[in-house]
Amino acid sequence: MTETLSRPRPKNASPWVKLGSRVRFASWTASLLPAAIFVAAWLGLQLDFMAALLTIFLPIQLLFGAWAGFYSYGRKGVNDGLLVVVTFFFSTFVLVLLASVLWSVISEGAAALSPHFIYQNNRYITGTTGLEIGGAGHAILGSIIITGITTVITVPLGVATAVYLTETRDGARGVVRTLLQALAGLPSVVAGLFIYSMLIVSGWSSQVGLMASLALIPLMLPTIARVAEEALRLVPAELRNGALALGAPSYKAFFMVTLPAAKSGIVTAVLLGVARIIGETAPLILTAVIANETNLNPTAGGMATLPTYIYNFLYLGDATSLQRAWGAALVLLIFVGILFVGARLASATRVGSKPKRRKK
Amino acid sequence: MAIQPLDSTLEGMSNDVAPQRLKLRSKPSRTADKIFFAVAKAAGYSSFVLVAAILFFLMLRAWPAFESQGVVNFIFGAGWNSTTDPQIFHMGPMLYGSLLIAAIGVALAVPMAISISYFIAFMAPERLAKIATVIVDLLAAIPSVVIGLWGLGVFSPVAAEWGRMLSESLGFIPVFSNAVDIFLRSPFIASLVIAVMIVPIISSITREIFSQMDQEIIKGAMALGGTRESIFRKVILPTASGGIVGGVLLALGRAMGETVAIFFVLNLTFDDYNWFKILEPSGGAVASLVLARFNEALDTELSALLAAGVVLFVVTLIVNTIASYIVAKAQPWRKL
Repeated sequence: MTETLSRPRPKNASPWVKLGSRVRFASWTASLLPAAIFVAAWLGLQLDFMAALLTIFLPIQLLFGAWAGFYSYGRKGVNDGLLVVVTFFFSTFVLVLLASVLWSVISEGAAALSPHFIYQNNRYITGTTGLEIGGAGHAILGSIIITGITTVITVPLGVATAVYLTETRDGARGVVRTLLQALAGLPSVVAGLFIYSMLIVSGWSSQVGLMASLALIPLMLPTIARVAEEALRLVPAELRNGALALGAPSYKAFFMVTLPAAKSGIVTAVLLGVARIIGETAPLILTAVIANETNLNPTAGGMATLPTYIYNFLYLGDATSLQRAWGAALVLLIFVGILFVGARLASATRVGSKPKRRKK
Repeated sequence: MAIQPLDSTLEGMSNDVAPQRLKLRSKPSRTADKIFFAVAKAAGYSSFVLVAAILFFLMLRAWPAFESQGVVNFIFGAGWNSTTDPQIFHMGPMLYGSLLIAAIGVALAVPMAISISYFIAFMAPERLAKIATVIVDLLAAIPSVVIGLWGLGVFSPVAAEWGRMLSESLGFIPVFSNAVDIFLRSPFIASLVIAVMIVPIISSITREIFSQMDQEIIKGAMALGGTRESIFRKVILPTASGGIVGGVLLALGRAMGETVAIFFVLNLTFDDYNWFKILEPSGGAVASLVLARFNEALDTELSALLAAGVVLFVVTLIVNTIASYIVAKAQPWRKL
């Protein structure tokens, strides 16, 4: 004990990572034996998997975990062992659930996916039509149009809000920030009801694509404003102050210095914002008729999007309808994945920013 | 070699190469700056306008329903029927169902989220931690309709089986009793689906706090003889508790506003409160109510649905405001 203390230790050392041979032996035993007993009991007694997991595996594993802790560290270690077992159990449970979502979308979706699924539309398709004709082409176009209009409106608004939050010294910034946080939790169905009550009930417009775009604005704004604010805030104040000292007016300092330095952060904001709204379903159901045909005009006629396409076929509920829904879900997931990866890449290559704080 | 005195050199230089006098081509314009800041300010205040407009227009159309049903009756009464005379639109069971599902969902999600965050931040090897982080983050971005599809097509049958097992083994406890022997479309399943949706939300905040935590404190606790468990309980959890509570409230707001995912895995019962029998196929959710009745709704019912939207909005607004306040308090490094 004294020997280890007398040795100088590097600053970032993590002494808990090193394991003695006793600990190693105990942890191997405690992780392998219960699993072996569980498999034997499950196969031998023909029990239901979940029941066996909860009634046989978990108690035995807890017991072994406690024993391993006791064997390695004495009485204090019992709780440690239990903590490790519980953490592992919950983590595995979560990861299995989440991976199951991903896996089922990918495997079921891939079965429905085909070239014509991407470009054909839904005309002449009923719930029981086979998969050899029909597709989500109109929904993909609709998603792109509706999301595009929302993006064009919301990005300047969101970035300007971020500018308001970072560049001005207005007294209401705290309130605006709180309101934005609150808007971030706005139930999407309320956003749809809002546009419905404001513009559609009053007879100003019918249920068309443009209304859906408007309904998505309050959902997209908080994401863009928050991420863009963080991006702008990461630009060193010296850069901007330097520009101001050289005589640049504030708006030029912003457009020529701050904005280029925060470019990748703004791109991240846009991508995350699009990812936030591309899967929204409820507001679109309330504000735009779900069309079966390709419609490129956002001001007249209904328009389908990928989420409402999924909703529609999920509602019909036939076997082939469900397959179509899975296919569209995979397409949607690919879109989200591309946006997600893009956002990660954009935020990884931040130029002119302070190094991100990381775990020591 | 004679060294010239410094002064003379400088003098000579200043005579030869006098810096050219530059004229400012354009003066910094005050008006352009004023416009710039005015635009920024207008954008900042647009969120006020947005929230006010949402409340105003919803209230405007919802008022007839509040007026005809009575505010208290509308919010707490039971029954939703457009064919009777007078029509009854009371959202009590829906509101209670929303709260119940959100509460159970959060109760299930919190231990899972804390575990996965602790696992990622303190236990997993780096590579596994990275993979787990990507999965959890990606799941936070998955659209709710896809979760609904998964919930209906893949998860519901499995969870119904869990429900049956729970009911058969623990049925003597009233919470788990089930008189109708149907286990699909119950609040229990809806809560599990909600839990899958909100685990990424809670864990992203928790994980960030865990990874920003001062390692010196943990080492200090180790040096004082702390064990893994006592450090988790007495050092890590208290430090992160503010953020966890805030994340939970944010997730609660999301859970109450969730529409499509619940719509497909829950059977709505308008007439009765289902107080606690979570395994029986009857429950409520405000957002699902809107979705379920919207297409058939005529004037009065539409107004009632908008009124339900108002109630939902106000409840989530309160929860979210408290949540964001707590999260901001718990993450002081975010404020610069």
